[in-house]
This record gives sequence, C-alpha cells and structure tokens, in this order.
Amino acid sequence: MRRRRPILVPLVVVLAVLAATSCAALDTIQQEAGKVETGVTKATSATASATKTARFVRKTFGDISEEEEYYIGRSVAAMILSRYKVYANDALTRYLNGVCAAVAVYSDRPEIFAGYHVLVLDSAEVNALAAPGGFIFLTRGLLKRCQDEDTLADILAHEIGHVCAKHGLQAIKKSRLVDAFRIIGEKAADRYGPSELAQLTDLFEDALADIAEKLIERGYDRKHEYEADELATVYAARMRYDGGGLIDFLGTMVDSDAGGADRGWFATHPKPEDRIKRVQGKVKVFRREKARTNRFKAALAGLK
Amino acid sequence: MKQPLRPAARAALCAACVVLLLAETVVVNVQTTALRKEPKFYAPALVVLKAGDRLEAIGSQDGWLRVRTAAGAVGWVHDSAVGSRAFALAAVDKSLQTKASADEVALAGKGFDKQVEDSFKARNRTISFVWVDRMLKIKTSSAELERFLREGKLAEFGGGR
Repeated sequence: MRRRRPILVPLVVVLAVLAATSCAALDTIQQEAGKVETGVTKATSATASATKTARFVRKTFGDISEEEEYYIGRSVAAMILSRYKVYANDALTRYLNGVCAAVAVYSDRPEIFAGYHVLVLDSAEVNALAAPGGFIFLTRGLLKRCQDEDTLADILAHEIGHVCAKHGLQAIKKSRLVDAFRIIGEKAADRYGPSELAQLTDLFEDALADIAEKLIERGYDRKHEYEADELATVYAARMRYDGGGLIDFLGTMVDSDAGGADRGWFATHPKPEDRIKRVQGKVKVFRREKARTNRFKAALAGLK
Repeated sequence: MKQPLRPAARAALCAACVVLLLAETVVVNVQTTALRKEPKFYAPALVVLKAGDRLEAIGSQDGWLRVRTAAGAVGWVHDSAVGSRAFALAAVDKSLQTKASADEVALAGKGFDKQVEDSFKARNRTISFVWVDRMLKIKTSSAELERFLREGKLAEFGGGR
C-alpha cells in the first residue's frame, strides 16, 4: 500500500513561507513608518506605527505621484503652447497619436495618469519636446525630416523615453520639492487654505520654470538625451521597428542649421554625431515594412 | 484515530494557503484603465477602472496582474496602472492594514492638484489650456491599436529582420 505523506510537511512549508512573507511585509511597513515627519512620534513597533497621523516623507522627484506629474505636465504643455502655434490637421494628429500609443504600450511605462498624447507645432524649426505626464510635441520641421514610420516611431520612442525616465521631473530643484511636500504633508482638510494654496502655487510656478528652462531653453542634460536614445532603441526593438531610423534622422541633422543656432534642436540637444556614435552599436535592424511607409506617406501627404 | 486528509482536501488546503500568500491589494493610480480579458493592451475591456479603485491581485504574468475587483470581476491590468502595493494584511494584522490604507488615502488626493492648477491659471491668464484639454481627448481604442500593429506587422504581428 502506498504510504500517504502527512499533510504536515507541505503545510509547514507553506506556513513558513507565509510567515516569511508577512515578516517582509511587516519590515516594509516598519521601514516606511520609520520615515515619519519630525513632530510625529516615531514608531517603535509595527503595530504602534499603525497610527493614522503618520505621513510618508516625500523628498525627491521619484515621490511625485502619477496625478501630480499629470498636473505638472498639463501646465508645462500649456506653457509650450503659449510659445508655439498648433498645426491643426486632424488626420495627421490621429495618425501620430496612433504611432505614439503603440510605442507607449511597449515602453517601460505603458500606463501613465492620462496616457500619452501628441500635437504638431506649426514651426519650421526642427524640434521635439516631451513634458512630464506624456504631453509630446513635434514640430512641422521635424516631421518633414522623417522619411518613414520607422524613423518617426524611433523619435517618438526617444520622447516617450524622457517621460518614462521622468527627465522633466528631475529638472525640478530638490529644495522646491521638499518645501512643497512639507506643505502638502501638513494639509489636513480636503482643500488648501488661502495661505498654503498661495505658497504651493509659488512652488508650482517655480517647478514649472525649472522644467521649462531645461525643456525649452537649455535642453535636458546630455546624459538624459543619451539615456532617451538608448531607451528608444529598446522600445523600437520590442516593436520590431527599425532602430536605424533614429540614426537616419540624426544623420540629417549633422552639419544642418535647421531651426537656427539659438533655438530648437541645436539649443537643446547634444551634437547629432555624438549621439550617432553612442547608439550605433545598440540599434536593432528590422525590415521597414511597406505597409508602414505607405500609411506614413498618406498621413503626411498634406504637410506644409 | 483520525483519518489522514484526502489528497483533494490536502490540495485545497495548500491552495488556500497559496492564495493567502499571493493575496495582495493594489490601487489603480491612473485616471482610468481597463480590466482586460487577456494580458494584452488590445484585449477587450471587461470593466473600466478608475483612480483609487482597489483590486485584489491573484496572479501575474509578464508585467500584467490578474486581479479581482470589489464587485468580483476577474481580469488583467498592467502593472504600470496600479501602485501602493499594500499587502493584504488582514490575515496578519488588521491594524497594519488600516495603517497602510490610511497613508494611501492621505496621499491619494493631495499635492499638485486641480486646485493648485486653478490658482496657477488665475495668476497666468495669458497661458491657455484649450489645446491641452483638446489633445487629452484624442484616444486610440484597443481595436485601433490592434489594427495598427497588425497592419504594420509590428511586435507580435511582426515582420523579419
């Protein structure tokens, strides 16, 4: 007769794992509870830390919530749109948003608070801008330099890379965030009072100015541009877009004066030849399907 | 003497322990997302989920979580659409669950929000949000996404190298 294994063994194993997991959870909560603000009694045990007055201390851009990123991004987008006119072309805009939505799905942050969106700026300068929260802008001049959908997708993947890596939020000075998080942490009511709202709006405006300075005036740090290029090659490869499109586009920018020396691409991006050198060995080559190039040409046919 | 548990009962007991192990509460942290039939962005949506909805995670696969809603619907959400993974500590310590929830709730509706944006708008009347609101209305449906990928021979519908 087959000997029955007692239930005790698997049960003990499962309970041991459960206990370990629970301990891990307790540790996590204890660690988090350790980050209570000054003035709140520091917890000495996990249960004692279960006080409703405890607040997590938020310090860096990484602690900005999805919803806050969205509200910051909305205002940065509005600031960009106060400098540029929109190129209104429904069919083109729908197509660009289709490419963007598809690339986003294969990025590291497919879902952000209100999704990714693209608009075309009515400018002959060659430029692309990605605000936090997924607000992406491409100029007419940039679109005219794209030969096919693969090139366009690679550029959008670069912009989505900036959003995924939160490069815009990283431009906010840390001291502003610390001050903002302190005011936010002190708020008890559902709505801010006049004084705290005024202080928070000051900090919000300063944070927007930090981002706008990087994004529009000076450009992201070189390391962020290179990082976005690398992310673009990864996202493009996941989708089986030809990563060589990015190199083609950058190639058109070498020795070019599109956009002028003081505005647009050249004011905000590292030298294209440096970027080509860095990504050349990393791009994955795929066949550029005719169906993609055809729909790209159809969508951009009327572009001025 | 007591009879040992039958294999089926043993399996059920172990399964219950494993379910307890995996039970994890996640919170939707994007404005809206879909509970999908399969772990793919172009899979049909079963239910629309909103920011703050709490879900019980019951499995995972390639960046997707299999979840159960409060109403009992079961489907998939992408990992990037949820946050604040407080363990379902009910089985361990009820007070800790209260703590985790209290902190999540405390942070959920706070920070740079609509009230701050409205205050910013009042100070900067020349900055228009008309196009920002307009661009947010552009949506690509699941069906459009699938057609786009399929027709373009992209990703899993992909072409050769």
